[in-house]
Amino acid sequence: MTVDLATLREGDEIVPAEITPEPDQVQRYFANSAFAPKFFSDEAAAKAQGLPGRIVPGPLKVGILYGSVARWLGDAGWVVAVRAAHRRPDLQGKPVTVMGTVARLYDEGGKRRADIELQIINQEGQPSVRGFATVEFWR
Amino acid sequence: MADQSLITDEVRSHIGRTTDLRPVVVTTVAVARAVGVYGGEVPQEGIAPGFVLMNLAPEGQSLHLPNLMPASLLISNEFALERPLQVGEELQARSRIADISERLGGQFGHALYVRTDVEFFDRQGARVGRSASTMMHYDPAGGRQREGER
Repeated sequence: MTVDLATLREGDEIVPAEITPEPDQVQRYFANSAFAPKFFSDEAAAKAQGLPGRIVPGPLKVGILYGSVARWLGDAGWVVAVRAAHRRPDLQGKPVTVMGTVARLYDEGGKRRADIELQIINQEGQPSVRGFATVEFWR
Repeated sequence: MADQSLITDEVRSHIGRTTDLRPVVVTTVAVARAVGVYGGEVPQEGIAPGFVLMNLAPEGQSLHLPNLMPASLLISNEFALERPLQVGEELQARSRIADISERLGGQFGHALYVRTDVEFFDRQGARVGRSASTMMHYDPAGGRQREGER
């Protein structure tokens, strides 16, 4: 999929994506990391931290946002920035939905850019992450 | 009894501490790890996904804070680039404790918030990008106690 810059308008939505962050995905994410807290892999350790269970690591959720924007953008440009504020924990193995809206289309430094407002919505319909991305078009 | 602030002069003195510039490389392993999070093809050359910056930390970090709370949780993080990254590119990076603040009360009780930035530069010294994260340090028992108060 590649977004069409000629028809893109502020208020356009990026296609919602349902994703289930699986425990093996979390395991792979930490495979080469020196920082791998036990509460991501151990239910009891998670509960001891006051968490509802094994949660999805925050950086992985930024990756989920990045992937959703990159897939929507396709070959039309590149992802300049992604920001995420983690409001609620998401549990491994539970599906989430990534939603996004084109908030602003503008020119900067001679390049066409778009700001995208993003959310990760949990199964209860609550936003667990509020995010923001900036993309730049090749044109 | 109200909690006392944990931001002592000693803790405050950590704000602004910065590491030396250290080398990091946008390796294919780092790119594969980034792509593995959200799926897709791993580029062997050319433009690397910007998300790779989130996991490029200079080795030998020396920004340790005193252990003030038993638990910690990431509450926000981000990256921003000045230009696309290239697979195989060598960069210099430095970390900095940008801010320390606290919140008394709330879902997790008394919590400390530590914001850390990492800046990335190319061989010419031009800034290529930065990543940032805020960790919340808290006491799970404090959070549970507040739940009981509700």
